[in-house]
Amino acid sequence: MKYLSWAYLVALFGFILLPVVTLVIFSFQDGRLPVPPFKGVTFEWYAKILTDRAMMEALGNSLIVALLSPLVALTLGFLAASGLARVVLPGSVLMRGLLIAPMTVSYLIIALGLLQMFNQIGIRPSLLATGIGHVVINLPLCFAILYAAIGEHQKSALKAARDLGAREWQVLWFVAAPMLTPALAAAFFLAFTFSWDEFIIAFLLTRFDVTLPVEIWSMLRSGLSPATNAVGSLVFLVSVIVVVALELTLFRKGSK
Amino acid sequence: MSIERQEKRQGAALVAPALLWTLGFFVIPFAAMVMMSLAHLEGREIVQGHDLGNYLRIFTDPSLRRGIFVSLEITAVVTVVSVLLAWPLAWIIATRVPARWRRMALLLAVLPFWTSYVVRSYSWALVLGEKGVVMNALVGLGLLAEPVQIMATRSATIIGFVHFFVMLLTLTIYSNLIQLSPNYARAAEDLGASKWQVIRLVILPLTLPGVMTGAFLTFVLCIGDYITPQILGGNNELTLPQLIMLQLGRRGDFPMASALSVVLMVIVTLAYAACARWLKMERV
Amino acid sequence: MTADVHVKAVEHRFNSFTALHRVDLQIAAGEFIVLLGPSGCGKTTLLSIIGGFLTPSEGQVLIGGRDMTHVAPKDRPTTTMFQDYALFPHMSLRDNVAFGLRMRGMAKAARNAKALEMLEMVGLADKAARRPHELSGGMRQRVALARALAVEPDVLLLDEPLGALDLKLRRQMQEELKAIQRRVGTTFVHVTHDQEEAMAIADRIVVMNHGRIEHCGTPEEVYLTPKTMFSADFMGETNRIPVSPAGAGVTSQLGLLAIAPAEGTLCLRPESIGLTGAFSLGRATLVEAAFYGSYHRCHFRPLAAPEMLLTAHLPQGEHPRPGAEVELFGRNPVVLAPVAKAAA
Repeated sequence: MKYLSWAYLVALFGFILLPVVTLVIFSFQDGRLPVPPFKGVTFEWYAKILTDRAMMEALGNSLIVALLSPLVALTLGFLAASGLARVVLPGSVLMRGLLIAPMTVSYLIIALGLLQMFNQIGIRPSLLATGIGHVVINLPLCFAILYAAIGEHQKSALKAARDLGAREWQVLWFVAAPMLTPALAAAFFLAFTFSWDEFIIAFLLTRFDVTLPVEIWSMLRSGLSPATNAVGSLVFLVSVIVVVALELTLFRKGSK
Repeated sequence: MSIERQEKRQGAALVAPALLWTLGFFVIPFAAMVMMSLAHLEGREIVQGHDLGNYLRIFTDPSLRRGIFVSLEITAVVTVVSVLLAWPLAWIIATRVPARWRRMALLLAVLPFWTSYVVRSYSWALVLGEKGVVMNALVGLGLLAEPVQIMATRSATIIGFVHFFVMLLTLTIYSNLIQLSPNYARAAEDLGASKWQVIRLVILPLTLPGVMTGAFLTFVLCIGDYITPQILGGNNELTLPQLIMLQLGRRGDFPMASALSVVLMVIVTLAYAACARWLKMERV
Repeated sequence: MTADVHVKAVEHRFNSFTALHRVDLQIAAGEFIVLLGPSGCGKTTLLSIIGGFLTPSEGQVLIGGRDMTHVAPKDRPTTTMFQDYALFPHMSLRDNVAFGLRMRGMAKAARNAKALEMLEMVGLADKAARRPHELSGGMRQRVALARALAVEPDVLLLDEPLGALDLKLRRQMQEELKAIQRRVGTTFVHVTHDQEEAMAIADRIVVMNHGRIEHCGTPEEVYLTPKTMFSADFMGETNRIPVSPAGAGVTSQLGLLAIAPAEGTLCLRPESIGLTGAFSLGRATLVEAAFYGSYHRCHFRPLAAPEMLLTAHLPQGEHPRPGAEVELFGRNPVVLAPVAKAAA
C-alpha cells in the first residue's frame, strides 16, 4: 500500500507538472522551435517579450482590469452581504439566488449576452466593457464568500455597533470591514486571479485595448514559439511568487 | 415609520447596487439573448421573430447536433477520468503524506493552476505535438516506431481538460477529506474494518459531497470551455462552444449563436438538477 | 464479555513532551473506572494506549492477561466511544450499530436483529431507520454506546462521552450509563474532567495530573481522604490550615487542635466544618452567609487568626447571623505532607 501510494503520487505529480516544466525549460531554447532537442540556453526570447510594446500594453490593461473590477465586485458584494445578513427582506432567498446565479453560467454565455446588449445600446468593445463583464462574474464570488463569513457572532457585533450609536457607514467601515478582513482579502485575491486569467469575455468584449490572455492567444496563431513559452513562464513565475507570498503571510496564521 | 421598516429600508438600500448590477448586466443581456435566439438571419440582417427555427435546426442539422454529442461525450469522459485520478491523489496527500509536507504537496499538486489558462493549453500542445517531449521519449525508448498523432484529436482535448480538472478536484476532495474527523476512520477500524473497508464503506461515502461539488464544477466549466478544444482539439470535430464562436466569427449569426448558448445553458441546468441532491447534502 | 486491564509501567512521549510518566494501573474485570483530571493530564493518552490508537514509548498493556501493547485496535477486545461519537452520517442508526457485526462477517438478518436489540437497550428501537443528523445530542450518544457495545467487547473505552451534552442531560445520561454497565457487565474505562460525573458513576476514580496518577480509589476515598493536595483540590473545595505536631495534637494558627500529630496542611471540606464535630477549631465570627438550597454557605473569620477565612456548609435550618460569634468544630481531618515531599 505504501509503495503503491508513493508511486501513484510521483506518477500524478509527473503528469501535473510535465507541461509546466516543459514550458519553462523551452522558454530558454536557443532555436526557433520550443521542442526537443534542447539546443542551449538563451534569454533572447525574454528580451523580445519584454520589449514588445503590444505585449506590455496588454500587461498594463490586464493589471487595470484585474485590479479595478474586483474592487467594484468586492464593494457591491460587501454591501449586499451586510444588507442581507442584517434583515430578512421579503424575497431574501430570491435575491441571494439572483446574486449567485451568474456563477453557474458559462463565461461564454455571459460574454455573448453582454456583447449583444452593448451592440444594441452602442457601447463599443473596450476595456471598460470587459471590466463590466468581469464584475458580473466576480460579484457572485465576492458576495458568497462575504455572506458566508458573516456568522451569528458577526451579526451580534454589528447589532452592538448600531446599538452604541454608529451610523450605517460607520458600522460598515469601522466594524464590518475590519472584522471581515480575511474574507475580504480572500475574495479580492480570488477575484483578481479570475479576472487576470479570464479569456473569453475579454476576447469578445475588447477590440484594440486587449488583455494579456487575448494577446497571448493571438501569438498562438503564429504557431509554436519559444517567445510564447517565455510569456507563459513569466506569468507563471509572477503568480507563483504571489501565491507563495500569500501562503507565507496571509494564510499562515489562519491555517496553522 | 416603525423601527423594523426602517431596518428593512436600510437593508434594501445596501443590497440594491449589487442587485441592479446583476439585473442590468446579467439578467437583461440574458433575456435579450433568449429573444435573439428566436430571431434569424437574412443575408447579413438580423430579423426579429418568434419562431423556434434555430432550435429546430440545431436538432436536425447533423453538424450542429453532432456538436452537442461531442461536447457531452468529452465532458462525461473528462469528469469521470478526473474524479478517478483525483480521489486517490487527494486521499494520499490528506492521509499518507506526513503532516509537515501536506501543504507543500498540495501546493505542488495545483501549481500549474497558476499559469494562465491559455498558456496551460498551449504547453500541452507543446508536449503532445509530433515533435513534442512525449513522442520524443516514446520513440526514443523504442516504445513507438514512429510518432502517433495526438494533437488535433479528441484525445488531446481530453488530456488537456483532465490535467486542469484533476487539480480542481484534488482541491475540493482534499478539503472535504481534511474536514472529516479522524475518529470516523478510527471508529470503523476499531469495530473491525480493514483499511480497504474503511475507505470503501466510510471515507468514500463521506467525501461524496466534495466529489459531487467538484464533478459538477468540472462539468460546467468543461462543457462551456472554448480554449482547450480550440487549441488542442483543432477543427476536426467541434464542441458546442466552438460552434457558438464559429457562428459569431464567420457570419455574425447572433441568433444561432444565442440558440446554441441557450441549449448549453439548459444542459448545465439539467446537470445541476441531477446533482442538486448531493450538492446540498447535509454534513454531520 | 468482560476482562481485566493491566497497564504496566507505561510511558509515553510526544517528541520532547512526556505525556505519561511510567503509569501503573490495575483494572478489575467488570469494573467502572473513571480517569479524571484537567485537560492535558494524560488521561486521553492513556485511554488511546489502552484502545490501541497509540503505542506507548515504553511499558505494556495487558487485557485479560494477554499482551496487547502492539495489537491493532480492531484486534483488541476493546471498543472506543469517541468524544464526537463518530457516527457514520451516511448510514441509518441500525446500519451504524450493525457495522461492527458486519465487519465480523455476521449475516445481514442476524446483525440487524442484534442491532435492533442494542437500540432497544438504549431506547431508540423506534428510530432505527433514521440518520444520525436527525437526532439530538443525547440520542446520538446512546447510538454510539449501542454501536460500541454491539460487538460485545470485553472493555469499553469512553472518551468524554458526555462532554457535548448540557448539564441536566449529562446527569441523566450518567445514571443510564451506570445502569447499562451493570447490566452488560463489561469493563468500562471512562475519561472525564468533571469530578461530579466521576463520583456519580465510578467504582474507582483515577485522578491524574501532569502524566501521573495522583490518587486511585473509590469516590469516597478520593473525596474524603485525598492523597495529594492536587486531588484534594480537584475533587472539591477545601479549607487549608498549615499544622505541625505538638504533643498529642497539632499546633496551628487556630491554636492547638485535637487531631493525630502530623506535619503539613490540614484539609477540611466545607461540609466538614460545623457547629458540632469531632474537634474544636476555636471561636469564629460569621462574616457572610448565603442560602444554597440544601445548605447555608458561610464564611467565618477565626478570632485566633483574623486574616484567615474558613468556608463552611451548614445544614439547612441552622440559622447563622452575620456578626454572630460561634465555636466551630471539624470532622474528617486529612493532613497532607508539604507539596515538596508529595511530589518526591
